[in-house]
Amino acid sequence: MSRFFQYLFDGLSSGAIYSLLALCLVVVYRGTGYLNFAQGEMSMFCTFLVWKLNDWGMPLWLAAISGMLIGYLGGATVETTLIRPVAKRSQFAVFVVAIGLFLGLNSLAGAIWGAPPQETMPSLFPNEPDDFQRIFGASWRYQSIGILIVGLVVTGLLFALFNKTRFGLAMRAVASNADSARLVGVNTGRVLAASWGLAAAIGALAGTMVAGTTGEVVPGLMFSYFVYASAAATLGGFDSLGGAVIAGLTIGVVENMAAGYAPKWIGQEMRLGVALLIILGVLLIKPTGLFGEQKVSRV
Amino acid sequence: MSEILRTHDLRAGYGLIEVLHGVNINVDAGEIVVVLGANGAGKTTMMRAISGMIPRTGVVDFLADDIAHLSAHKVTARGIAHVPQGRGTFPELTVEENLRIGAHSRRDSFAADIDYWYGVFPRLQERRLQRAGSLSGGEQQMLAIARALMSRPKLLLCDEPSLGLAPLVTRELFEVLQRLNSETGLSVLLVEQNANLALEIASRVYLLETGEIVSSGTPDEYMNNDAVRKSYLGH
Repeated sequence: MSRFFQYLFDGLSSGAIYSLLALCLVVVYRGTGYLNFAQGEMSMFCTFLVWKLNDWGMPLWLAAISGMLIGYLGGATVETTLIRPVAKRSQFAVFVVAIGLFLGLNSLAGAIWGAPPQETMPSLFPNEPDDFQRIFGASWRYQSIGILIVGLVVTGLLFALFNKTRFGLAMRAVASNADSARLVGVNTGRVLAASWGLAAAIGALAGTMVAGTTGEVVPGLMFSYFVYASAAATLGGFDSLGGAVIAGLTIGVVENMAAGYAPKWIGQEMRLGVALLIILGVLLIKPTGLFGEQKVSRV
Repeated sequence: MSEILRTHDLRAGYGLIEVLHGVNINVDAGEIVVVLGANGAGKTTMMRAISGMIPRTGVVDFLADDIAHLSAHKVTARGIAHVPQGRGTFPELTVEENLRIGAHSRRDSFAADIDYWYGVFPRLQERRLQRAGSLSGGEQQMLAIARALMSRPKLLLCDEPSLGLAPLVTRELFEVLQRLNSETGLSVLLVEQNANLALEIASRVYLLETGEIVSSGTPDEYMNNDAVRKSYLGH
């Protein structure tokens, strides 16, 4: 039984990161209808900045907040200068720009900080060998508990932003009908820039926590996390915040259980495959994802 | 009467194709001005050009300020509300959220306005927590108009509100427009293809053909004009 709780808890903790990154994808998707392929690399780049600021002597939490602010500005700038001008032409142009951004940021990080650098990264949470609680026979590391709490808090804040604020209503209006949003006086450009900024900021936080668990920052930091996150966003239905969170946590738990209980034929190498299989199954049965909405319209 | 809107040599189109070839119209305060035109005459383009949804050249004077260079969200903030063709409600938002977003350009409190519109359209109150996408066509059109008026505009642009509505519902809708006009002095610029009902509430009428205003006059003149009757009134 303690094994079960261990896998469950480890799964929830990595699932929290998938959820955060999936939320970034959903926030951008809802505003613009694009999957931001550069999301992972934007997170990774911000994480390097966080590491560098910390390296220069800034306390890590302050560095993380600065990284999020830089991420916000960077994300908003990317949207206004790179994405918006080509978005008028076609979806494919946006796709190509995002891929370019992906490769560009990846190489840039490698070029600035050496490839492959093994920069040691401290954790935001207490992470000494004895920093854990034993609950139900499983060891709950403070770091993992911290990640889970941060994940839930950020999700809660996003929900509040979307459902309780004037700006959140404007974001949802733009997602629902961009033309009409302009007609009621919403500055759609500002909303889209803010969506990208918000996603980049949350991504910076997620990246910092990922680097804290592995203890190092490398250009490939977010590769697998991005794959899991897009899987979670797809499974959750791409336009649903709650769906992304539940799907992210589910994928985390399932892949940890599969890898843990079947170490011989799934193990660490095949865990990604398990996640993708579930998604394939769900999408075959329910193409809008678990919590996605069919666009409703009556004429 | 004081003039609220005047366009001069208004030109607009899509890409390289010019659809409006210099339109001159004016709306005085408190008027309901109806622009009649066939499919493809440029009615929707004219509305979109006035509200800043598409690039345009020429002059759009609103309350004596030229707004032809402003983008749509700024035009709304100046006091023009545009109910687009096909209603343009937010299907994924609830009825109440649609009304709240309608007041986006305002900084003051608008709770009383929501209650006011629930009073005008009780059906919307019954469905306040339903998604707008689940409403019937007539209800959506009422929501679209209420939402537009949540911004407390000085001028309402209505693009073919009768489209897809049963004649009875259209009549009900036009009665509401007329009542708002006479009770609050709201100015309305209405474009219609289906002219019968529109002429009943019009103060003045323009005829738009292939991107140009070809004539103007009183509703009576148009109702008694044989050519117009054949083309736009269907009898």
